[in-house]
Amino acid sequence: MQPLRIALVQLAPRLGVLEENLARHRELLAQARAAGAGLVVFPELGLTGYQLQDLAAEVAMRKDDPRLLGLAAETQGLSAVVSFVEEADDHRLFISAALFEDGEVRFVHRKLFLPTYGLFDERRFFAAGDRLRTVDSRLGVKLGIAICEDFWHLGVAETLALDGAQMLINVSSSPGRDLAAIHEVGLGTAVSWRTLMRTYAQLTTSFVVFCNRVGMDETISFWGGSEVIGPSGEALFTAPLFDEGLYTVDVELGDVRRERIGLPLLRDERPELHLRELRRILAHRTGLEIDEASEPSDGGRETGQSAAGSREAKAAGGPDRRP
Amino acid sequence: MSAAHGGRQGEPNDGARRLFELPPELAIDTEIARRVIVDFIRNQLRQAGFARGVLGLSGGIDSALVAFLTAEAIGPENLLCVLMPYRTSSPESVEHARLVVEKLGCESDLVDISPMVDGYFGRDGQPGAAGAADGEGSPLRRGNLMARERMCVLYDRSVGWGGLVVGTGNKTESLIGYTTLFGDSACAFNPIGDLYKSQVRQVAAAVDVPEAIIRKAPSADLWPGQTDEAEAGFSYPKLDRLLFWMIDKRRTDEELLAMGFSGPTVERVKRLVATSEFKRQVPPVAKLGPRTTGVDYLYPRRRPGSARK
Repeated sequence: MQPLRIALVQLAPRLGVLEENLARHRELLAQARAAGAGLVVFPELGLTGYQLQDLAAEVAMRKDDPRLLGLAAETQGLSAVVSFVEEADDHRLFISAALFEDGEVRFVHRKLFLPTYGLFDERRFFAAGDRLRTVDSRLGVKLGIAICEDFWHLGVAETLALDGAQMLINVSSSPGRDLAAIHEVGLGTAVSWRTLMRTYAQLTTSFVVFCNRVGMDETISFWGGSEVIGPSGEALFTAPLFDEGLYTVDVELGDVRRERIGLPLLRDERPELHLRELRRILAHRTGLEIDEASEPSDGGRETGQSAAGSREAKAAGGPDRRP
Repeated sequence: MSAAHGGRQGEPNDGARRLFELPPELAIDTEIARRVIVDFIRNQLRQAGFARGVLGLSGGIDSALVAFLTAEAIGPENLLCVLMPYRTSSPESVEHARLVVEKLGCESDLVDISPMVDGYFGRDGQPGAAGAADGEGSPLRRGNLMARERMCVLYDRSVGWGGLVVGTGNKTESLIGYTTLFGDSACAFNPIGDLYKSQVRQVAAAVDVPEAIIRKAPSADLWPGQTDEAEAGFSYPKLDRLLFWMIDKRRTDEELLAMGFSGPTVERVKRLVATSEFKRQVPPVAKLGPRTTGVDYLYPRRRPGSARK
């Protein structure tokens, strides 16, 4: 099999300057093509910048926006992941990542987890997506696309792998912080990300492709450090911290098969077990348990559908056994 | 693996350790700090449509470090350092400021603020604009006025120079409120506002700020013989450690006591932090209309159209 050349576009978008970012994407797409790339990955909100606040509505595009379709049209014979603010038909705004292939918008993933804590305030400005699907790509592998915080929730990588993904792609605008000198790479954020990406690659026996932006929005600096991790958990490429650039790395897609034959973790996964236990846990967290004596856990939500919910919970066979 | 930052370049070398005391938990990767700060300065100026910066150079370590980093970001030819002594300022302050200017080769300017301050508070028994009623003012009032006169000079010079005022306040003094509102804390942006004093020293040593400046006792130099540590009653390493565990690492009072901090010190520092909250925020606006700045009108400072043409 021909190696696949992946281009990681570690760029610094201009905050809120959509036209300029679109032009830059076009240029970099052409550069990646000239460099022989088959897959070009741009970072989270590469078309708009990250710290948008109320600008989000002003740079939002529908997925059939001519500006987006115009960029997609430049992917003949290529796959590209591009991220933007998506406005839905009902005018909710999402942080989205689209897969463009052969000139078309093939798939759109909407960010599932919107961090709203610490320095993050995403939920104030955006709606959370609620579909997690893999997509068949022209590259001959299924792709699982996720956006930044999506990767800080274990179920995402696992679900994508069980759904057939052989390559997990995470596009990020990760703010660098914690410069404590005890860290191996001098930046706490980078250490955490590297740990989790290697773990995901190893446990899902898949490629993990991480494209993180650089540059600054307001007070926040984004650290780059984009990576490609092989299905054995080994880093195949690590881009420098903070440097803008287009980095290419060649991968052997056949490594997925070799790894999975030797280490059949996915074969041995037991999603039915998860599902059974998750139903039980879900019933508990949402207060839908049949046991009226028990209170929902602290994290539980109030709901008004206890009767229907209880039947469902009982059918799942979980709650009765809970101590 | 990582090309640029694979090593432990941030660790202070022995030379740096001899210059000052650095609590181990406060040690940072100085190469990354330098990189981020220099990019920050460049970005803040570019996004505002400016190529130049101006700052008040006191002869102390904070403004010296900001001068070094600003010169690195935009070139010394684009940096104007203004020395603004008062007649009772230590001569050493001006000497040390000159040392920085010479080492960097940046532009500099000396403005004696004595007539401005004395014009208000009076001098030698002659009343100033403030009137004769309360003499020449308390040290606090005089110190605040000096800081604010310096702010006036910097903002005035910024017009002629065509540059933004670069802030020089550190995280320690900001957290305990050891600043003058609309005085030394006034700036267009602050590159070192998230570095504790101990970390300022560490980065200063890494970028070759002159040793004499790193080694001397920090002082606001508002009156002869004043030092920060005598005035506050804490040493910087101790105060920095306490603030770090209290604020960055969210330790409770009980946990801080168990770590060896004394009860009265914890109490006092907590009070300093709480009572100075107002100095770290923009003044509140009464919410009346449908959209209110800072409340539900939330835009980035720098956005399309915000740069000076």
